Amino acid sequence: MTARQMKLGLFLWATGHHIAAWRHPDAHVTAGIDIDHYIALARTAEAAKFDMVFCEDAAGLREANVNIASQTSRSIGFEPISLLSALAAQTERIGLVSTASTSYNEPYGLARMFASLDNLSGGRAGWNLVTSASPIEAANFGATGLRPHADRYARAREFATVITGLWHRKPAGHDGESFSVRDPLDIPPSPQGAPVMVQAGASNDGKDLAARTADVVFSAAQTFEEAKAFYDDLKGRLAAYGRQPDDVKIMPGVAPIVAATKGEAQAKYDALQELIPDDVGVALLSSYLSISDLWRYPIDGPLPELPESEGMKSRQALVIEQARRDGLSIRELARYFAGARGHWRIVGTAGEIADELQARFEGGAADGFNVMPSWFPGELDAFATLVVPELQRRGLFRKDYEGRTLREHLGLKRPV
Amino acid sequence: MHLAVSLDIAVTDSQDILDFGQISAFVRDLEAAGVDMVVISDAADAPSTSPFEATTLLAALATVTEKIGLVASASTLAHQPYNLARRFASLDIISHGRIGWNATLRQNPREAANFSRPEGFSDDDFRRRAEEFINIVRLLWVSWEHDALLFDKVSGRFHDPDKMHLIDFTGEFFSVRGPLNVARSPQGVPVLVMSGLSETELDFVSRRADAVLLDKREPDAKATSDEIKRRAHEAGRNPATMKVLAVADARPEFDGRKLKELCLSSGCDGIALNVEARTAALKDFIERLLPDLERQGFAKARSGKTLRDRLGLSEDRRP
Ligand SMILES: Cc1cc2nc3c(=O)[nH]c(=O)nc-3n(C[C@H](O)[C@H](O)[C@H](O)COP(=O)(O)O)c2cc1C
Repeated sequence: MTARQMKLGLFLWATGHHIAAWRHPDAHVTAGIDIDHYIALARTAEAAKFDMVFCEDAAGLREANVNIASQTSRSIGFEPISLLSALAAQTERIGLVSTASTSYNEPYGLARMFASLDNLSGGRAGWNLVTSASPIEAANFGATGLRPHADRYARAREFATVITGLWHRKPAGHDGESFSVRDPLDIPPSPQGAPVMVQAGASNDGKDLAARTADVVFSAAQTFEEAKAFYDDLKGRLAAYGRQPDDVKIMPGVAPIVAATKGEAQAKYDALQELIPDDVGVALLSSYLSISDLWRYPIDGPLPELPESEGMKSRQALVIEQARRDGLSIRELARYFAGARGHWRIVGTAGEIADELQARFEGGAADGFNVMPSWFPGELDAFATLVVPELQRRGLFRKDYEGRTLREHLGLKRPV
Repeated sequence: MHLAVSLDIAVTDSQDILDFGQISAFVRDLEAAGVDMVVISDAADAPSTSPFEATTLLAALATVTEKIGLVASASTLAHQPYNLARRFASLDIISHGRIGWNATLRQNPREAANFSRPEGFSDDDFRRRAEEFINIVRLLWVSWEHDALLFDKVSGRFHDPDKMHLIDFTGEFFSVRGPLNVARSPQGVPVLVMSGLSETELDFVSRRADAVLLDKREPDAKATSDEIKRRAHEAGRNPATMKVLAVADARPEFDGRKLKELCLSSGCDGIALNVEARTAALKDFIERLLPDLERQGFAKARSGKTLRDRLGLSEDRRP
């Protein structure tokens, strides 16, 4: 019996997770049109024995303001199911997880796509279910605009019921509020039985759906206390659905910057921070605060008093809390959040980073981590060559894959 | 004479199902022989027994081949135009410009029943919806200009905002703002293949298609082919910028000479051969029929890297 080991995912994001990553002198700036870049990243992660690579997704631009958008690398990229299908043929062991929206797909079609990816990869596919909260996406799927949160989740619940029914070979036929499906799925199951279900919703509806259906949950947390509270909340919801705590793996995001010395790591981080254009940073911060006119206030002054958001309430509260606690100016705050979009950031040596990951893992705040390199390929290489061996030395991470499928890597049961 | 091979992965006999290794070995053999493109058909009226869906299979095939054109069928009922436009643009980038979309214009009742349209569409509604869908996909494909991406790390300009365009499309069935969130693909516009035509669609097909697959049951392929080219000319196109292929089954009694006769008598630019996705059918095709077809002047590998180049098509720059 080996000790419990952490799970590691590699969160792919073109040039990297830092908003200015693409401007880093060594960043692979053509990532969004270069399949070989992704093949290389996936192989690096596979050689380091990561459980999976993960692709986020949105069916539209990320930023409505064209001038701001043109100063980031995020308006173009690969459609992720195609990308991962290509990676399936170019890797052997690593899990392949893609985001897809329940708002802009049909369950029968998505069930076929992921079942096909699962077969192409020999049982390594996973689906990150999202409900899509962006009006920019909504405008690409009809003029009706973004539907209310509760409606999106009602549709998502029905979607999840139908798609798991199809994957798990339940008797055919569904005639519901949003969907009707007549036939059983016409694609045979892969060696892992059905793709792994992933979720990252932070609302009450989101956490509840995850407790009911997810195998893996992604989250964003700054402090140990936040991470622990989320972990306990989600695991606490499982019993209501007849599930065990170990049936769901919770993997918060972490954006490490690692170097041989802490000073060197800090210098790498500072250099990246210098590359953020002010208006890009302020635009990103404004979106977290759900206000449009933050640029009116002096950038080196404090955050003004703000009305409570109707958008992302929890994210707004987190930003305001951070500003007050550390006495940050608008510029400082914008830079802070541009680094990892609200995810946990650690700057230090491999030993220091391993210490921090170990503390959250052993302290019951995480089953593993979704690693978000600040820029590609450099920060992935640094993590793979410096941090992973340190985790392996401590017995916290595998030295080789235990099995072939993503379910086997994650220690999940095969669906019956 | 152009040669396309249509691999029908939706076989209904579940005894002999091809895995990815067998399919990719077959496609590499086609590539070595200079076949212009392989068309992966999907979702027939009967349930498929294949472990793969066509577009995902194409992405994987794109990484293990270098020259052959790769075309997947995808229906306008099973997808949203924005999603489908993204998928094919991505495939075109992954394959370095070898992708085509086979837009089938025939409604599939099985699909309607599984995609929350139990009542289906009337034929006329289906046709108008399909045409709108295809037009939107094209508009999305050209929503970024070729030189829009600047990658200028020093000035901080990733792209030129003036070279990215909303499409702001509002039609009878869809409304789509755009732009696509995938860059302009290597072919500019992936090759648009149309099949499953009826008389009412000939105008649309003549204006829009890069390649047309004529139904193998078509009683007079020559008349249809001539008519399509005539209408293309009327619509202001050079008919040479469109290829019409006659479709036939790769049956054991066919040899290269017979297929050449069929191609010449149909007045088509080439032929698309249906091969069943069974081990024996693939073997017979590669070992017997393909060398014979090569001898008859099919599948002469042309220069050029993209599928458009191979088919002798220029980029579609029509409005
Ligand atoms: C690691 C991580 C990755 C995410 N990836 C996506 C994504 O790719 N696309 C998306 O629309 N939302 C993504 N989200 C957002 C959530 O899935 C979710 O949609 C959001 O939190 C709003 O849901 P809620 O209202 O339940 O909180 C991600 C969140 C996290 C923490």
